Amino acid sequence: MHALTLPDARHHDEMLLASGAVRPHYQQFAEWLHSQTPAQLAEKRRAADLLFHRVGITFAVSGDESGAERLIPFDTIPRIVPATEWQMLEAGMKQRVTALNAFLHDIYHDHAIVRAGLIPAEQVFTNSQYQPAMQGLDLPHRVYAHITGVDVIRHADGQYYVLEDNLRVPSGVSYMLENRKMMMRLFPELFTRHAVAPVEHYPTLLLDTLRRATPKDNPTVVVLTPGPYNSAYFEHAFLAQQMGVELVEGRDLFVKDDHVFMRTTVGPVAVDVIYRRIDDAFLDPLAFHPDSMLGVPGLLSVYRKGNIVLANAIGTGVADDKSIYPYVPDMIRFYLDEEPILQNVPTWQCRKPQDLSHVLANLGELVVKEVHGAGGYGMLVGPAATQAEIEAFRARVQANPSNYIAQPTLALSSCPTFVESGIAPRHIDLRPFVLSTGQEVRMVAGGLTRVALKAGSLVVNSSQGGGTKDTWVMEG
Amino acid sequence: MKLEIRHETVYRYDVHAHHSTQYLRLTPPSTDHQRVVEWQLNLPGKASSGVDAFGNIFHVLTLDHPHDEIHLIACGVVETTDQPWQQSAGLLSPLVFLRTTPLTECDHALRQFAQPFAAAIATDPTTGLQQLAAAILDAMPYRKGETVSDTPAAMAFAQGAGVCQDHSHVFIACCRHLGIPARYVSGYLVTDDEGHVASHAWAEAWFAEAWHGFDISNAMTPDGHHLTLAVGLDYLDACPVRGVRHGGGGEELHARAEIRVIEE
Amino acid sequence: MMLSRTADQLFWMSRSLERAENLARLLDVSYRLALMPQARGDKVELAVPMLLTGTLDSFHQRYPQLTPENMLNFMVFDSSNPASILGCLKNARDNAHAVRGTISAEMWEAVNATWLEARDRASRRHAYSDFFDWVKERSHLFRGATYGTLLRNDAYYFIRLGTFVERADNTARLLDVKSHLMSPAIEDSAPDYYAWSALLHTLSAFEAYRAIYRDSISARRVIELLVLQPDVPRSLCACAVEIRSILDHIQGETGRPAKRLAAKLVAGLEYGSLDDILEQGLHAYLSRFLADVHGLGEAIHRAYLEAA
Repeated sequence: MHALTLPDARHHDEMLLASGAVRPHYQQFAEWLHSQTPAQLAEKRRAADLLFHRVGITFAVSGDESGAERLIPFDTIPRIVPATEWQMLEAGMKQRVTALNAFLHDIYHDHAIVRAGLIPAEQVFTNSQYQPAMQGLDLPHRVYAHITGVDVIRHADGQYYVLEDNLRVPSGVSYMLENRKMMMRLFPELFTRHAVAPVEHYPTLLLDTLRRATPKDNPTVVVLTPGPYNSAYFEHAFLAQQMGVELVEGRDLFVKDDHVFMRTTVGPVAVDVIYRRIDDAFLDPLAFHPDSMLGVPGLLSVYRKGNIVLANAIGTGVADDKSIYPYVPDMIRFYLDEEPILQNVPTWQCRKPQDLSHVLANLGELVVKEVHGAGGYGMLVGPAATQAEIEAFRARVQANPSNYIAQPTLALSSCPTFVESGIAPRHIDLRPFVLSTGQEVRMVAGGLTRVALKAGSLVVNSSQGGGTKDTWVMEG
Repeated sequence: MKLEIRHETVYRYDVHAHHSTQYLRLTPPSTDHQRVVEWQLNLPGKASSGVDAFGNIFHVLTLDHPHDEIHLIACGVVETTDQPWQQSAGLLSPLVFLRTTPLTECDHALRQFAQPFAAAIATDPTTGLQQLAAAILDAMPYRKGETVSDTPAAMAFAQGAGVCQDHSHVFIACCRHLGIPARYVSGYLVTDDEGHVASHAWAEAWFAEAWHGFDISNAMTPDGHHLTLAVGLDYLDACPVRGVRHGGGGEELHARAEIRVIEE
Repeated sequence: MMLSRTADQLFWMSRSLERAENLARLLDVSYRLALMPQARGDKVELAVPMLLTGTLDSFHQRYPQLTPENMLNFMVFDSSNPASILGCLKNARDNAHAVRGTISAEMWEAVNATWLEARDRASRRHAYSDFFDWVKERSHLFRGATYGTLLRNDAYYFIRLGTFVERADNTARLLDVKSHLMSPAIEDSAPDYYAWSALLHTLSAFEAYRAIYRDSISARRVIELLVLQPDVPRSLCACAVEIRSILDHIQGETGRPAKRLAAKLVAGLEYGSLDDILEQGLHAYLSRFLADVHGLGEAIHRAYLEAA
């Protein structure tokens, strides 16, 4: 028998009701779980750790010069998504990404949404993520975000909400793939009992997306990484290897005669598509950050000539900025003439005086985030903060209100997870990946489920002690 | 006014450089204010050209054989007008020029310095901004050697001296702080002084639906003596030459721009 | 086809490991010679490792006196000396880390574990002769892992190329420095006997010598064996033959100059005679050989590793 902690009624638990009863889509799994002894499962978890270490699925701890690496904890209880829920999620995400790509094309061309008065001009054009270099540039198939990660959570009301869109260099897909491989290896019997939708074809789909991003026939695709000391280097190497393309660093590429070439043992080879895992600011030291050694001098000039495709495009960050996020439902209505399928989390924009006073009066209940922040840094979780932390944050918000937004503290859903005491509910979110070619928007049925391993914690980021789970989308 | 320009730039390296790539903004565009009659570049290799998002004409020069010198010559004839210095907006929203860059960030001292001009600028932007420009020149007189090409505005201001680049950066930083879009202009200036370097920098501020020029270092409004090469958010966007190289060791730079009036 | 950077890192990974192994071989013998009561010209003998690696100046900057203890410390465990065994192992590991996706898991584990344990042994000031044996074993392990697990593609060939370019260079340098210390006329004398047989031991060629000549050690034969004998794995001829054959396997048209140099090197060794060598003087001969190997290394670099 497993030592099981029941979820409390203030959260939606993916598997259990507060009474301990099992939700229908977890029924089969729960039966299997009870048929296993804690010792058997503990043994499997040890095996998983060992395997992950062997394969080297680690992430470098940022700022550690010695190149220390650690494992992201993996939990063997999957997050299961029923087929009907997935259909809704998939439709909602495709709709959202289609609108976001339309938005990006618009703000770098005619500014229709600004002229229509739906988004204030200064919100777009003074945003540091808006790249002037993109104005007037026509991209193949008008695709800006070829790869998007959409973070969703499920609230206590049982509804899914979009927490944020990731249109710059979304990461985590390698964990989706490796977690599945691990589960199939550890528990092959589970996959004969459950009709779990496959995710293994993601690299093939990604390569196809990248190849279709250029009008060129038989294009040469590369993955551009900042190098082995980047925290996501494992993923860069993994994806390059899975797609069978070169993993390059900036110094492997050079610009000549309006084209990009890579230096190889058989001489210069022309490159057509760069799946870049480097931020905009570091792509071209002659156009952006002048001290960057990570990029390719002259890259922007080739890009503007249309002789190289960057995935994602330069300047997509303006669309996933937290200050633009509140407008995404309006974008869907404006560009697609549809109602949003997926909901946004209600958001107060501190740059608006009315919103600011509401936020300052309710800091203890809200989550306050920096507009350009990422990785769970620079944020206040009101209910979990001390009075001193709240007051310190209040001073920061008052000093620069437009730098902050606030949202209600969401009751992230939980999922049973192995912890020291046995099995207990831990909060989770979900990041599926959306691939856009301009003609099609495609997804694999799955995603990365991140889990906050500390009891009660809502911060799921791996850099702050979060773990991951396999995500099972059930086939209808 | 018809002007003849010759701009020569030479980089010399201590040891051979293997590979270098440069962005050149050495070709003036035709604008509301100037007409390019003829222009040519003499470069040590094949360069490709284009127009960037700010409307600047640029060339990309890649040298991938070992070299210990790069010699660039730009020369030509340009006709300027003496009309009031106003330029229309390009493709880019002027609001873009409200954002700060590392070179044009305000610190506390600069914000305090700029604030008192807010009222005057609101009443009459031209006069208010001229007062701001005059106060900047007063606070940091023109002096060479105190700053370098990547000295940020706040640091130059704190040092109390600088050259045209620093004056322009400080002016731009103040404008943006006060909510006025402002941009950096690199170009040439005709002076009576023979020995004076013709390369120059000034700033433009956006109000009344146009870009208005302010030559802070010379306490004047740019006119037919001024010739625009390139504009941008700051020096890095608009400077005539920006390059990256592998190898080469130390570097020596000689730049000389001569400008001559061939027709008043 | 592979990225020039990857090829470069593979090449230097194996060069650094080979260098560490050769250093261990050399230092092992120096160490034993230093223990022998009849050791002669000790100061010069002690300086050999630094002369070989071009680090004598930096040694003198760091250590007041040339003693066996200081020399060994500097050349074995001193991590601030990139030419030390520890420095070479670190360099090999850093290069391997960058090409982890290209080499097999066994190879990565071999290089990584070697570096980790070497660092540990250095901090414990492990006994020198055990350490030398261990370094040689780890080098054998890595070669075995490479031979047994890596696909025969360009990655494999650049790794092998690094090994043999380094080995050719090391054997020639060793022979050169040693021959300097001995009688110029290359006559057989008793003290030289020890030195020549030590050299054979250093290069694991003692058994080969016995098997081929079935006679006592003579300077002429040692030189013949280590320069011209293609069947002795660390001889100059064997290294050159390997390099030529590896270059033939690498794809692409850019390698012509390197291939030409390699073929010239092999021809010189295959058709060379001991008398020719001794006539022009061993030192002059080896200096030219070293210059040729250096030129070949440069040609390999230009052709594959930094292709513009």
